[in-house]
Amino acid sequence: MEAVTGWWDDFFWGSLVVVGVFIVALTMTVLFGLIGAAAKLSKSRTAQRIAAAYTIVFRGTPEILVLLLFYFGSAIALTAIAQVFDPEVKFVDIPPFWAGSLAIALIVGSYATETFRGAFLGVDPGQVEAARALGLSNLKTFLYVRIPAMWRLALPPFGNHMLSLVKDTALISIIGLEETLFVAEQAIGTTGKPFIMFIVVGAIYLGFSTIITLSVMVLERYANRHLEVAR
Amino acid sequence: MSSNFFDFIDFQLILESIPDMLKGIGLTLELLFLSGILGLALAIVLLLMRISGRWYLAAPTMVYIYIFRGTPILVQIFIIYHGLPQLDFVRESIFWPIFKEPYGCAIVALTLNTGAYVSEILRGGVLGVSRGLKEAGAALGLSIRHRFIYITAPIAIRLCLPAYSNDVISLMKSTALVSTITLLDMMGIARTIVAETYAPYEVFISLMVIYLILTWMMQRTFGWAEKRMSRHVRSEA
Repeated sequence: MEAVTGWWDDFFWGSLVVVGVFIVALTMTVLFGLIGAAAKLSKSRTAQRIAAAYTIVFRGTPEILVLLLFYFGSAIALTAIAQVFDPEVKFVDIPPFWAGSLAIALIVGSYATETFRGAFLGVDPGQVEAARALGLSNLKTFLYVRIPAMWRLALPPFGNHMLSLVKDTALISIIGLEETLFVAEQAIGTTGKPFIMFIVVGAIYLGFSTIITLSVMVLERYANRHLEVAR
Repeated sequence: MSSNFFDFIDFQLILESIPDMLKGIGLTLELLFLSGILGLALAIVLLLMRISGRWYLAAPTMVYIYIFRGTPILVQIFIIYHGLPQLDFVRESIFWPIFKEPYGCAIVALTLNTGAYVSEILRGGVLGVSRGLKEAGAALGLSIRHRFIYITAPIAIRLCLPAYSNDVISLMKSTALVSTITLLDMMGIARTIVAETYAPYEVFISLMVIYLILTWMMQRTFGWAEKRMSRHVRSEA
């Protein structure tokens, strides 16, 4: 354990990076999920096909592959563009934070697409008809009727998506994001104690998973508060 | 710079790299099947402990599942591959030949990880079996063991097949992570090619297509199995 002393602050900053990635990627995940679900439920054939291709590709390929493709792919494209303006440039990349957040958000977003689609289909059609009868516009129906009814249904699987999201953050260390796993590798380089360092990383991620699980439990209770009596 | 978009894509490289990457498909499938089967066996043991009704069997299972589902699999792989060899009692144990090789570590890590997930899936299936059926079995005088084997298990297997197929697909995706511990599965070979040619688009997108075909084939197989197992309930659904 004494090997870890002196590295706690690095692990702390690494944990903050995990939190940062989680917040950024979660926002994008919700966005991709909602857009994907809207496309799948829309009447447009083209939108349906694009959304279907999106979910098939991102749910069917390994996360690490998507991540490396995004990072190295964008670096090649950016370097090529930069060289047009300045032939001296050797290498330009998207910061791992953004490339990684985008990659894992697209992956988890493809799962969220299916979750949200199912949840929207689970909204009682009578409620939507009632909103129509009250003269609510499509946007207002969406915001005040569909969303509040659907997030209650989407919450349990979405909790699992959030867990995948935080665990996928560890992968971004492969492209150089300085999160806890990356910190551990640096610490091992100096101390030569891999076991304890990786256990610390595991404990940190377990802590994040626990926080998410507990938050989802609280949120579920809040979302279903009006059903409490019925149960 | 050329204006032709296709000049950017090296078709020659795609044609050359695909057979190279396919040399790793054996390892990918081997990891998938071995850790899939071992993981399933582990999951069944965990399930039986979890539903045994004895706290000293159920509690360790819950802790195990909590830990393995709550941490990234990459960290688990690193602990087993980089971490365990540091401990003397691991090096002196009879299991050292397994932990000495990245291949053994990969199998152990993937098995332990998938076992935790699958046992939760199986538990969901067992809990989904309606009580009436079990009571009917009891009324017929079947013992608890017989009720589990002949009534609960067959129905539970059918119920958890869709979730299980998803987990097998995630296991296949997880096998790509063994490229981080020097194994040359398809992903490892692709990374080597990209490091040499610096052509991520051609190589990685080709590999994506290969993985998509594998996923599709597994979905078809499980879809067929599901259909077959629920052929007597089709009118209900």
